[in-house]
Amino acid sequence: MVKNNMLKRIFETTEFVTFTIIVVLSVIIGSINPAFYSWGMLFDILRASIVFSIMAFGLLPVIISGGVDISFVAIAAMSSYATHMYLLRIGYEGGILLYYLIACSIGILAGLINGFLVTRFDLLIFNVSLAMYTMWYGFVRFFIGSERNHNLPAGVANFYSRFLLIVENQFTGVTGLHVSVLFVLGIGVTIALLLRYTTLGRGIYAMGGSRDVAIRCGFNIKTITFFVMMLMGGIASFAGVTFNLLSRFFDPTIFLGQELDVIAAIILGGASLSGGRGSVIGSFMGVIVIQMIHRALILTGIPVEWQDLMVGILLVFFISFPFIRDSFKKLTLKSSLQKP
Amino acid sequence: MADWELRAENIYKSFGGVKALDDVSLEIKQGEIVCLVGENGSGKSTMIKIISGVYSADKGELIINGHRYRNISPIESIRKGIQVIYQDFSLFPNLTVAENLAINDQISSGKKWVNWREYRRIAAEGLAEIHVSIDLDQLAGQMSTADRQLIAIAKAIMSEARIIIMDEPTTALTQKEIQALFSTIRHLKERGIAILFVSHKLTEVKEIAERTIIFRNGKKVLDRDSQGLDIKTMEYYMTGRELDSFWSASASKLKDKENILEVKDLSLAGEFSDISFQLKRGEILGITGLLGSGRGSLALSLFGVTPPNKGKIRIGGNEVSIKNIQSAIQHKIGYVPEDRIREGLFLDQSIEDNIVASTIDKLMNKLSLIRDHEKTGLSEDWIHRLNIKTPSGALPAKSLSGGNQQRVVLAKWLANNPDILILNGPTVGVDVGSKAEIHQLIQNLAEQGMGILLISDDIPELIYNCDRIILMRDGKISSEFERGKVNAEELNKAMIGNLMDGKE
Repeated sequence: MVKNNMLKRIFETTEFVTFTIIVVLSVIIGSINPAFYSWGMLFDILRASIVFSIMAFGLLPVIISGGVDISFVAIAAMSSYATHMYLLRIGYEGGILLYYLIACSIGILAGLINGFLVTRFDLLIFNVSLAMYTMWYGFVRFFIGSERNHNLPAGVANFYSRFLLIVENQFTGVTGLHVSVLFVLGIGVTIALLLRYTTLGRGIYAMGGSRDVAIRCGFNIKTITFFVMMLMGGIASFAGVTFNLLSRFFDPTIFLGQELDVIAAIILGGASLSGGRGSVIGSFMGVIVIQMIHRALILTGIPVEWQDLMVGILLVFFISFPFIRDSFKKLTLKSSLQKP
Repeated sequence: MADWELRAENIYKSFGGVKALDDVSLEIKQGEIVCLVGENGSGKSTMIKIISGVYSADKGELIINGHRYRNISPIESIRKGIQVIYQDFSLFPNLTVAENLAINDQISSGKKWVNWREYRRIAAEGLAEIHVSIDLDQLAGQMSTADRQLIAIAKAIMSEARIIIMDEPTTALTQKEIQALFSTIRHLKERGIAILFVSHKLTEVKEIAERTIIFRNGKKVLDRDSQGLDIKTMEYYMTGRELDSFWSASASKLKDKENILEVKDLSLAGEFSDISFQLKRGEILGITGLLGSGRGSLALSLFGVTPPNKGKIRIGGNEVSIKNIQSAIQHKIGYVPEDRIREGLFLDQSIEDNIVASTIDKLMNKLSLIRDHEKTGLSEDWIHRLNIKTPSGALPAKSLSGGNQQRVVLAKWLANNPDILILNGPTVGVDVGSKAEIHQLIQNLAEQGMGILLISDDIPELIYNCDRIILMRDGKISSEFERGKVNAEELNKAMIGNLMDGKE
């Protein structure tokens, strides 16, 4: 009975729906083109998901707390480009560690500014982030530089080809499991534990569920807001550096316009923009779904417009999922009541 | 356990010149069930907020267990065992029952890490203390109102409450759930926990109170043992006048009136089925039943919100189909919703705009612009006719008290001259004085020839107003009562008894 209940609960989660979609997509794509079932393809999808997953993990706590931020992409672009230009100027030749350290610190500071504006003037996170989004992209191009830079210090130049495993495949060529999937794993597990097993993490859910009640219960809303904004800034910058290193250039306008893709992935993973819902594993699967749809294009020869249409349809389904589930529940409840 | 006691002495509180509390004293002893009664604006909520530390009194003192407080802080009030259960129950809808129950302890103990097993243990203990069993893994937002209330009570007990203050706790409960709540309250009393029950449902007050305190205009006007205190006396003290005259409706003269509405075999899948009845001009027909019996969805279907999927509706002898709200309005049906805040009013808009909202088409000139002076004239007329208490029609609707808001909703529909008026819980959350006036208004409307469907679970309200009462259960009509052939107790029994043999 207890076990039954637990299973039932898992089936009712949005994460389970996302998982089902991944399975269904795999079957469909694989049946059209069996080349889909290969290690190479898996590694390829994972590699394409690395940066998005990390950004999604950073944004997720903000969304759970009931806010929507778009400035994280600008923070990522600004901090990683600024770090790179600074390290180039001082003639840095070392490894990736200092890149991550400096960029994440800048990101955390940027998040701190967002948090300050939101709490000090009692503003909506979205409004502040809209301003910051524009501001940081402007800032980096005006003060730091607007040119793409391909000069990588010796210590980081080969990072793009650090693989844990390499496979060869006639369709994808030589592909490998890039070492940065470990970053995804590390950050993902950390955020998941934070959200599930710390009082602060539960406070994030509580605040998203009901702000007033959270205040009445004694949660410090300001602390939570500061925390999620700074965490987001730091992790976004981490994703920014990773993206630039993998692409072997630093660009001040990376991710411009891609903030909505990250938000879409989080929603596909079962989060709600009104707050209180969402999970790390769900967000990861959301990113995978989007990447699979992109791959499906190449593998099945379906036109490019199909991608956006498909993601859009899935989004419609997901934002209405709680409603569909609840009305379905209500119907079954009613009919069981009416049975004599 | 040492005896516990709360006293408030000579409390004064005013807001911008308006005296909310004027030299009020009261005391509550360990294990007492005290009901605090009063119309809206009588100072009940101000008193609660002073006791719980949300407001500070201008003058006066609180004495808790011998400690004197000039002003108490919210946290100190909680530490002294004062717990308020607000109408939203202070629960997180997105968290499980277990977490909702354990989270206060988690925060107050300053723990940084969450132990989920510990959560479940704390939660199970808390629920065991009030002898209820609720699935700990369900999300609080998916529970019924009654269950959420029990969780809130368990939460209060767990923070070592010595007095639990309940603000209008029965508003969204069915009769059966109210009885369950009362037995929990009596159980708490046995454990020495005092209850301050704030309500204006006098039948309930009579049933549960050991002592009744009545406030009127910021003053305490009655404080006595509930033994032998009848509802009429309570009403008198609450309003300061005899309400009797309002409640004796004139005998109906409906024999030769034609049917204005006929409903035949109306069904909506999952909600109600095979509903047939007739409504005559000038008749007040009551439709009642427990929550979930289909009374509410029937009303919505007749108003075109959720069109029925089977059955016939005849209005004035002609068969019509009501596919949406617009067609309902065309057929001169008006609907006053249950939840006026969410469904009936634009709270931030002016009273004037609210009143003309359903008649706006008629106020437009050839260019589809609104004739402003006519709009003002029309709304002023209704403000006057329905005795809406406001200095100006330009003020936002949210500036009005509950009873006056309800009148604005009524005015909105009456301005449209409906033939049939559907009232869904017209006096929910309205104080006794306004309630009597709304009842009077309903009866006047019926006398003028309007057909009225009064949907309510307020049994006295039905008995006093309706010519006939239809009782619904599980989406079907289960019985029908004529005026004068049923009293409140019988109707109550039919409603609850119904449930008993329906479920068990």
